[in-house]
Amino acid sequence: MSAYEKAFDSLGLRSWCDAGAIGGPMSMDDLLAKAGAAGTDQTEFFPFPSLDVLHKACGAFPRTRDMTAGLERLFLDVKDPVKVVLDPVTQPLSWALRNAIDLMQSLPWWAAILILVAIAHFAGRRTGVTIFVLVVFLVLAFIDHFGYAMQTLAIIMVCTFICVLFGVPIGIAMSRSNRLERWLTPFLDLLQTLPTFVYLIPLIFLFSVTEPKLYGIAIILYAIVPSIRLTNLGIRLVDKDVLEAGEAFGMTSWQKLYRVQLPLALPNIMAGINQTIMLSLSMVVIASLVSAPGLGTLVLRGINKLELGVGLVAGLGIVLLAIVLDRVSRAALQRVNKMHQSRT
Amino acid sequence: MTESFVSIRNLYKIFGNNAPAMVSYAKAGMHKKDMLQAHGHVLGLRDINVEIKQGEITVIMGLSGSGKSTLIRHLNRLVDPTAGEVIVNGTDIMKLDRARLQQLRRTQMSMVFQKFALLPHETVLRNAGMPCSVRGDGRAKTDETARKWLSRVGLAGSEGLYPHQLSGGMQQRVGLARALTSNSELMLMDEAYSALDPLIRSSMQDLLLELQKDLQKTVVFITHDLDEALKLADHLVILKDGEIVQQGEPQYILLNPADPYIEDFVSDINRARVLRVRSVMEKTIVEDDGYEVLDGDETLERAILRSHGAADKSFAVHSDGTRVGILKMTDVLKALVPTAATGRNHSSD
Repeated sequence: MSAYEKAFDSLGLRSWCDAGAIGGPMSMDDLLAKAGAAGTDQTEFFPFPSLDVLHKACGAFPRTRDMTAGLERLFLDVKDPVKVVLDPVTQPLSWALRNAIDLMQSLPWWAAILILVAIAHFAGRRTGVTIFVLVVFLVLAFIDHFGYAMQTLAIIMVCTFICVLFGVPIGIAMSRSNRLERWLTPFLDLLQTLPTFVYLIPLIFLFSVTEPKLYGIAIILYAIVPSIRLTNLGIRLVDKDVLEAGEAFGMTSWQKLYRVQLPLALPNIMAGINQTIMLSLSMVVIASLVSAPGLGTLVLRGINKLELGVGLVAGLGIVLLAIVLDRVSRAALQRVNKMHQSRT
Repeated sequence: MTESFVSIRNLYKIFGNNAPAMVSYAKAGMHKKDMLQAHGHVLGLRDINVEIKQGEITVIMGLSGSGKSTLIRHLNRLVDPTAGEVIVNGTDIMKLDRARLQQLRRTQMSMVFQKFALLPHETVLRNAGMPCSVRGDGRAKTDETARKWLSRVGLAGSEGLYPHQLSGGMQQRVGLARALTSNSELMLMDEAYSALDPLIRSSMQDLLLELQKDLQKTVVFITHDLDEALKLADHLVILKDGEIVQQGEPQYILLNPADPYIEDFVSDINRARVLRVRSVMEKTIVEDDGYEVLDGDETLERAILRSHGAADKSFAVHSDGTRVGILKMTDVLKALVPTAATGRNHSSD
């Protein structure tokens, strides 16, 4: 009999313990003990009682695995009411992703390349970058990875658009209220540090795996953070003198926002969008675990079936795509930066 | 005489958590140093009373930390006073709500900044037209007004450039054009020329004086440079540690410093270039011909030049064609030596 058991007895809590005893499935330890295996008591000794030790002494205490099971039950219980709200709200995301992927795949290859190269040209205005983009897509087509790359690209485009759509206004709100910044910052930290696989766990419960919004939400939650953070930072770093000038000439706070704060914060906002694009790409690969189409599925096949070559080539394709996205968005950023070099 | 356009009355500004409670200490005579030591509050401005006359250039001068930039920001309420009132063109601006304050800033006042504070992403033309576009004027009208003032400050042809393509002096011309475009009576200039190098600064001062001759704006000019202050000021206010040490006509302050602080300040000045003949002359209307005629607004330097160094010469001083006095070169020489502060025996030098 352990010391804890005696403690419960001496406190007169024995009857309470026995009355509240939780049965439940056996722990692995119990099973092993029953089988008569060696090293039955694997619980480490701490100077304080752990949940499992307390359970042994007094049945009213839950075991650690009861706790995780409880969490799961709780999650399943709230799932349905949450779904009632969340499902219709997120439905447009599924729709957008599905249509974007269909659109990118229904385009003839030369039209798709033409459009992408045109976007790269007008965003970056750098001949070298434009040619590089053209070459990368031709190479992807040459190795028959073009369709997969288009799927990946379609997902990234939709998710980045939504990240900017929500991230920039949230960043603006955050820059205006110190209290909101204080409250939101730990949440953003959490989103950035939570292992990417862990994101998927609650989402799998909430949505069916066949729905695109499952991975869409995962990507957006992961990738929206830099857009919010850098918009907030950019607006907070706006030259106080210029802002004061706006104030002195009688600007309303709305005029200050779109004539001073947003334009002056643009380099930082663009840097945030660049980060958002890169994070979307990294998450879209992980999201292939939950049926996100694209190059990620090939990587997954490489792992699952040990098809080494398939996985490596797809990985290389992702790298090429990453370089394209980074160079184009960075060229656009540099173009904006050049216009802002007024400070000496 | 001219009317007051802005009146600052019994203005106090205290920085700190419990500022309103500190006003009574300041009113009881506590100064900046004591308040910081005893209560941990910074006394920004203490009992400021200034009348800013319409059509004049009022220069507020002081070293850094004297509160001059804080003071000018009270005139358009970029900073709110802790106590006291600011009356602009008959309205107590402390009583205005947000919308009416914005209206006042749009129509009655403009500002020029030390670091230019132009919008880097907009062209020179759009920058100069900013006050109009903020007000909601149409594009065509805004551009026309902006174009007019840009050419007035010598920037015709640069309308399509961006601020970073201009030198500092030219950027500040844009800042000046922007202030003029607002077509408001009061022009606040916060160390407008301090960031410019001396030659450009001097030409910008000339530009301001030339514009002022035509426009007769009410200008409040902040500077830490006494030469600049004396060149521009119709009315000079000298601040030290948040308090006014002396204010008045610059020539008068130069000849009658009220305080050793000002005396130190003015001792390094090239007096011959700053003092005017009218400030030194003997006021007399006795007709005594045979003297050469000199204008009252000429500097002493000019008088010395005209006298060819002769110390016994005299000039007849005229103003607007009529005779107002006689200038003896001996008086000129005396005026070149710094005057001791009134009520204090100055023994050094």
